Amino acid sequence: MTEEQILYKTQSVCPVCLKKIPARRVRIKNEVFIRKTCSLHGDFESIIWRGFSEFNDWIRETDNIPAESNNCPDGCGLCDDHLQETCCLLLNITERCNLNCSFCLADQCNDKEDIPFEEICTSLDKIIVKGKSLIQLSGGEPTMRKDLAEIIRYAKNAGAKYIQLNSNGVCLGEDADYVKTLADAGLSFVFMQFDGTEDKIFERLRNKPLLKIKQQAINNCAKHNIGVTLVPTLVRGVNLHNIGDIIRFAVSQSPKVRGVHFQPASYFGRIPRLPENKDRITPDELVFEIEKQSGGIIKASDLTPSSCYHSLCSFHGDFRAVENKIEALYKQRKTENNGCCSVPESEKNREFIGRRWQRPLLEHKAAGSCCGSKLDIDSFLRIIKQQSFTITAKFFQDAGNIDFSRLRKCSFHVYENEKYIPFCSYFLSAWK
Amino acid sequence: MNGKKRLICCKCQKELEMKKVDFSYLGHTFFTDLPSCPECGLVYISEELVKGRISEVEMQLEDK
Repeated sequence: MTEEQILYKTQSVCPVCLKKIPARRVRIKNEVFIRKTCSLHGDFESIIWRGFSEFNDWIRETDNIPAESNNCPDGCGLCDDHLQETCCLLLNITERCNLNCSFCLADQCNDKEDIPFEEICTSLDKIIVKGKSLIQLSGGEPTMRKDLAEIIRYAKNAGAKYIQLNSNGVCLGEDADYVKTLADAGLSFVFMQFDGTEDKIFERLRNKPLLKIKQQAINNCAKHNIGVTLVPTLVRGVNLHNIGDIIRFAVSQSPKVRGVHFQPASYFGRIPRLPENKDRITPDELVFEIEKQSGGIIKASDLTPSSCYHSLCSFHGDFRAVENKIEALYKQRKTENNGCCSVPESEKNREFIGRRWQRPLLEHKAAGSCCGSKLDIDSFLRIIKQQSFTITAKFFQDAGNIDFSRLRKCSFHVYENEKYIPFCSYFLSAWK
Repeated sequence: MNGKKRLICCKCQKELEMKKVDFSYLGHTFFTDLPSCPECGLVYISEELVKGRISEVEMQLEDK
């Protein structure tokens, strides 16, 4: 391996045996890697920054979290060493699915029986904090369950503030009446898998053309005021070139579509092959591609790391979408927090998601235009909510690049067997 | 002003009158009608407005 400058010492796992081993974040010229050595299986390296921008300008002081923890990762639940409260809580309600994708983080399985409804209700009673919780119903494909509406209704009655459905959109696209039952039950918004604007992209990643049914899903959700956020799994050589078109498509669908949430492929669950460094899409590269492919309309400076996570885990940008155009919401940024009582980051992040991804209840053409003309406060608020559009990204970790200092700050948790487990720890799987 | 309550400017001793007031926050501008002193221009912003719509504007415009 070439000469390295050690930036940070952390902990990780061997991708083969999952043994906990020391790791180091190293810099070689403008690139940053995580490197580690297993006494049994040798050296491993994974690129985490390609140098499209300066790494030190992205990383924050609050990212310097000690990785040492006797509990990471096997003691997840959350352990006392965990440094972040739950923002969003994912509940897997089925392992069945109506697709057979080449990338499947859940490694869906149609042979396994669903968790009984009563057991799900017991879990919901335990996890829901009245008036606060954001519950993600996930799988497999949750719409495979005939009692999904009942589950949503139960969660709503139990006091969940937001209920998100993670779905491939196939059932939502096939049946508008079905979407109505979910909306009536209290569904807040849909997180819909959406890999691109070309059917050949879906054929490569999902093994069938899906563009038409995804559009129908967006339309059916719109009929019942359910906001949809598009979620592309980005894979180099498949849809990295399509980022600009995905954004333009999403903007054209506003306010039906509330934003795009990019998820560069992570290598856990079902994957077509083990990754090499050239396969990895890093935060700086994605920011660069968004700016480039949007023709500079979206600037790199519009996209910033989320305070609720480690800087390398997530970024977000807040925009307004109107008449097929997009503009940054923040004309200026607040430079300091002067509040005497600061809201926890996890709660701020949860409310950000709820505000942006849920369609406002009343939508009628507001007076005034989006740019330049002054509006009264009520019209201003209506427009801001209606035109809200987010561009966000999540960089999940796998056995090749997992960094426990990042894991300790994770606020996205999976609930199972009375434990709250950071997402990347829950899905961590050995490379075979 | 609510009901029969009158708001008086403590400096000018003039009754406040409703006037269109411009707000600017983080590069965005909007307006609303507020009681304002016709003499010195002092504006009265009620607790209800601050905790309600202005707080909502703050939440919508601020980064998370």
